Amino acid sequence: MTLLILYVLALLDGLLCGLRASMGRCPLIWKRGYYARSLLRGIVGGQIISTLALVALLAVAASSTHRDALRTDLELAAGRMLRIFIPYAALVLFNLALRLVPSTDIRSATSVLMLGPLTAIRPLVMVVGVLYGIFTSRLMETRLLGLFILALMLSLEFVLNRRAARAQAMQIRQLV
Amino acid sequence: MFASWNPAQPEITDLIIQHDPCTLERLPVRKEELVTVFSRFCNRQALRVVRALPENDGFLDARAIDALFLTVHWEMQRLSEEFYHGRRVWELLRCVIASIRQAGAREKLRIVDVGCGTGYTTRWLAANIPFADYNVEFVGMDLNSTLIAEASRLAVAERLPCQFIHGDAFSREHSGNVFLSTGVIHHFRGEALLEFLRRHDQPETQAFLHFDFHPWFLAPFGSMFFHYLRMRTAIARHDGVLSAARAYAGNTLAEAARTAAPEFASGIYGANIWNTPIPRVFQSLVGLRRALVPEFRRQLGRRALRLGDLK
Repeated sequence: MTLLILYVLALLDGLLCGLRASMGRCPLIWKRGYYARSLLRGIVGGQIISTLALVALLAVAASSTHRDALRTDLELAAGRMLRIFIPYAALVLFNLALRLVPSTDIRSATSVLMLGPLTAIRPLVMVVGVLYGIFTSRLMETRLLGLFILALMLSLEFVLNRRAARAQAMQIRQLV
Repeated sequence: MFASWNPAQPEITDLIIQHDPCTLERLPVRKEELVTVFSRFCNRQALRVVRALPENDGFLDARAIDALFLTVHWEMQRLSEEFYHGRRVWELLRCVIASIRQAGAREKLRIVDVGCGTGYTTRWLAANIPFADYNVEFVGMDLNSTLIAEASRLAVAERLPCQFIHGDAFSREHSGNVFLSTGVIHHFRGEALLEFLRRHDQPETQAFLHFDFHPWFLAPFGSMFFHYLRMRTAIARHDGVLSAARAYAGNTLAEAARTAAPEFASGIYGANIWNTPIPRVFQSLVGLRRALVPEFRRQLGRRALRLGDLK
């Protein structure tokens, strides 16, 4: 169950990273299709990260001499990570939901006061969440896996941004 | 506080593209002149940006600057989207149009977006407002031919019923019934602000709505944080914050409008949120022919509370 929740959160994070990387790069008025493609790219990114994490996890488990202890240790670490990630995700989703309120002031305020700062602290939340998760783990494998997943999570937005920036630069080169 | 927040200096984007005021032809810009300007203000952030701009034999590379301008304006559109700027403009414009109609005007009304850039506001209005029902035409105007070409391209791509013109919005041939602008008015400093407002007094012009940053002591901090998060180009991060620092106080704008265009009743709309002391990011300078004021207030309904003194 813990792993499933982490997987869902990774996909949600990928989805929002995809969206953020694409924002400010398309000057059309109607861009539902554009954003749908961005969300899809984000989900694919999140899926790739989850797959890589799973492969690493399976590889570590396969080569481990103390699988039961490793499993218990990993579950404990993952459970502790959720204590940081779930409130953060809930806050983000709550503020996104607030944008359904038909008030331009409330919608704008969610951007300025909440979603902006929440975006700013995303890398910090990732670092704190993973470190908090692996802080009490007894096995080196758990710690290394945690750091590997952290590196993957942090690189996702960077990679999506680079890709989007390249596409935008190419488009603009054709215009001038 | 910081040299880059000194409101006495121009923004970088004010200087890197220059036009002949008569022919509107693009003029070459010497990079060293920009360095001199920002050195005078000890603005190291601007100097870093300027020094990184591509050049040919000491002159800014026009093509690279155009590409940079487009990148920045695409990013700026994101801010307008996040602040639901199109809706905010329509909220006021709808009342202005209704007031003009109530006064007996039946002809097609020309709404001119002054300094429209890539024309987000005009395109949003054209995309979302049933223009035929209101019998209006939306026109975006700018002195920058690259931005106008881009605005036209985007309007054609989405088949939007609006047009974009490279030229002077206040010239006899292009003048409008309603002038509006976004983030433009703070670029006019001192006497230039009065001259800008003076030019609104044209026979067919009934009203103007100029949206710009609302200055208060935390605005540059908020702007810095927001631009750091949302904008990707160094030039946008610099100019965005400086814009917030250069924005005029509502009183200054209203007084300037009353002095320069006394035929209009002028005031500030939407300075604060829900009549609390919390400021909105944008406020708008509203000017109307005096005969339109009572109907305009009626059209605003409960939103009339957001309107300051209109005199």
